[in-house]
Amino acid sequence: MSDFTYRLLRTPQGVLGAAILVALGIVCTIGPAIAPADPEAMNVLGRFKPPGAQFLLGSDDFGRDMLSRLLVGARGTIPLALGATLLGTLAGAVIGTLSAYLGGRWDEAIMRTTDAVLAVPGLLLALLVANTLGKGSFNAMLAIAVAFAPGMARVTRSVALTVRRQDYVSAAIARGEGVAWVVFREMLPNVAAPVVVETTIRVAFAVMLFATLSFLGLGAQPPASEWGLMVAQARAFIHQAPWMIIAPGAAIALAAIGFNLFGDGLRDALNPRDAR
Amino acid sequence: MSVLLDISSFTLDYATRTGMVRVLENITLAIQAGEVLGLVGESGSGKSTLAYAIMRDLPANAHERGGSICFAGEELTRLRARNIRALRGARIAMVFQDPTAALNPTLTLGSQIAETLIRHRLLTREAAWRESESLLRRVDIADPQAMMHRYPHEASGGEKQRVAIATAFACQPELIIFDEPTSALDVITGARILELFGRLRAETGVAALFISHDLALVSRIGDRVAVLERGRVVETKPADTVFISPTEPYTRALVAAVPRPSRRLVHDDDAPGEAKVVQLLDISVRYGRPSFFRRRQTLGASQVNLDICEKEILGIVGESGSGKSTLGRAMTGLAAFEGEIRLRGRRLTGPGQMDRSYRHAVQIVFQHPDASLNPRQRVADILARPLALFGGAAAEIPRLLEQVRLPPSYARRYPHQLSGGEKQRVAIARAFAAKPALVVCDEVTASLDVSVQAQVIALLLALRAEHGTAYAFISHDLNLVRQIAHRIAVMRRGRLVDLRAAASIAGPDAHAYTRELTAACPVPVGEETSQ
Repeated sequence: MSDFTYRLLRTPQGVLGAAILVALGIVCTIGPAIAPADPEAMNVLGRFKPPGAQFLLGSDDFGRDMLSRLLVGARGTIPLALGATLLGTLAGAVIGTLSAYLGGRWDEAIMRTTDAVLAVPGLLLALLVANTLGKGSFNAMLAIAVAFAPGMARVTRSVALTVRRQDYVSAAIARGEGVAWVVFREMLPNVAAPVVVETTIRVAFAVMLFATLSFLGLGAQPPASEWGLMVAQARAFIHQAPWMIIAPGAAIALAAIGFNLFGDGLRDALNPRDAR
Repeated sequence: MSVLLDISSFTLDYATRTGMVRVLENITLAIQAGEVLGLVGESGSGKSTLAYAIMRDLPANAHERGGSICFAGEELTRLRARNIRALRGARIAMVFQDPTAALNPTLTLGSQIAETLIRHRLLTREAAWRESESLLRRVDIADPQAMMHRYPHEASGGEKQRVAIATAFACQPELIIFDEPTSALDVITGARILELFGRLRAETGVAALFISHDLALVSRIGDRVAVLERGRVVETKPADTVFISPTEPYTRALVAAVPRPSRRLVHDDDAPGEAKVVQLLDISVRYGRPSFFRRRQTLGASQVNLDICEKEILGIVGESGSGKSTLGRAMTGLAAFEGEIRLRGRRLTGPGQMDRSYRHAVQIVFQHPDASLNPRQRVADILARPLALFGGAAAEIPRLLEQVRLPPSYARRYPHQLSGGEKQRVAIARAFAAKPALVVCDEVTASLDVSVQAQVIALLLALRAEHGTAYAFISHDLNLVRQIAHRIAVMRRGRLVDLRAAASIAGPDAHAYTRELTAACPVPVGEETSQ
């Protein structure tokens, strides 16, 4: 594992990505403790204040401190995006591996179904699911997971097809192993590397998709300080108080960039051809 | 004769994470104009690295530690990039092991030869095209005009290697480096490629460095042979004597490990009982993707009848694509088959009927040790599973490892921490965990070095002596099979063309194809009389 960490941190994108993720992790755990003010404390006299000594990142239309809202809001954004991606990835990985293992008509049936689902844009699908399940952060997470699963299934299947041809899978079949053993114990651990990379890149999409759902009013509900919701609420005041939209927008972008860079670093680190 | 290539005290290191690794140590070799120098060595001996050092195409982590490579009076190690480009392809050409990987799949074969001519001989497109056609004719391509317009996937492996050779000869180079040019081809195709090289060499008088792991091949092709061991040249001697009376211990060990039919390793020729373990009755296997409308089309094997007796070693030989591995896959339930398999008289008509007792009796060991062990499982996990399935206990793991001559501490290792031979031993231990009556050995030694191959074969024979196991030994190496098999089955294009006792395989009543196969098989080195 130390060898892996070394290779991850050898690339600049790996170092930068890991640093951003560590920072985000810290904010998620101790965010409320380091927030300078109560994120929901209104201040009639402090409305629309630009960034300055009183409010480091400015204040919003209720006079709430933007920095505090961001720090506290990280909890409602990052873990949910991560959860949604992991859920979607896991489901997709199992479906894809199973499809590659079964092959033939089963593969055909599973993959054509996936294609059909893929034909619906991710956001639309997430909207559909979120609408059906009702508003709320948890439902938005499920919606994103459902939207991600088909794409992950495709990616996993392509990797699993090569693993399927490996002799250790044949050896398992030849000694009479069942489907569950072959899929979960022989194949899944070996498709993990590219899937993990794909996952980290998708977390960035999840953050944005989650923000979009909240923006459209289907995710987090006011007065929560979820980043996407903050962007949505700031939209009305974009000319009057641009910092209101810049701060959460930049936070989302930073998280997305962090996960993307980390994913790039992981891909390089997990590439066995680079093992020198 | 003048010295064309003069390598003296050349030393090279690779930088790895664990430090510098010496790959070539003090190499001193010379090739005269018009001479063919054979270079043999096992995997990891640095023979390909030497080829790349001459071509000046070393990886970024290679560090040259001194010595010189002098080509026709020019010092290559100090040459600048543009001068090297003028040299490559024009005066030093190279032919690679795998023609499929060496040719660009998106360009026609013709344009790939013509490119060399345009680049180095400054011909016009039309002239280059005409010249390429005549080059293809020279390498015995049946219809050069048609071949020029084909893409690599439309040509066979042998044809592709001929195209690669035509490209190498295109600019009348002074030196050609052959890096295992026949290893990726089957025996008969490989033999024809070598004939072609012999003829072209006589016509052009080109010098060559011929790299191979195959001693017989190198001593037949080369004028002199250099033996490479872990980056050192052990000895350089004339080809006709180097392996006849080897003096260096390393060379002697190499020669001793070469399979030769005259030295049988199995001495209980009458031991196989009458009782049949597995019978194949009219077995056919179809490959290809079945659609909803038609059946699988390609026949991997068609109507094969074979039986394997208790304690028997049945050799199954044939070229690549002859269906020999397909039979092994059918026997172990990895391929759907038509027909009937009988295990000690019990009838099975499909892989679905192969229950635990069948799997218990019939096990398989695969060709590639790298692919046959799950890289994410420790050796202990790999062995524990079949033990659990077939009524053994995890406590037996040390005994299993000991059986395949591995220390018990290996149980904690991952496959990538083992060498190729050690991995194959683990795969064998996994098969024997079930205490099978028949083990299908699918080219088990094909990807191993000759000395490791000898050890693995010795191990298989020792296990058979201990457990009375029968083997279906699938291999393309007829010499090896003749050393150990009781009977030999010859496959061609999915059909069983010949089945006879190993002693009479070279007999006059053998099938015409069997005779062709025996003739194409290299005569083992160190034997002065050919058979």
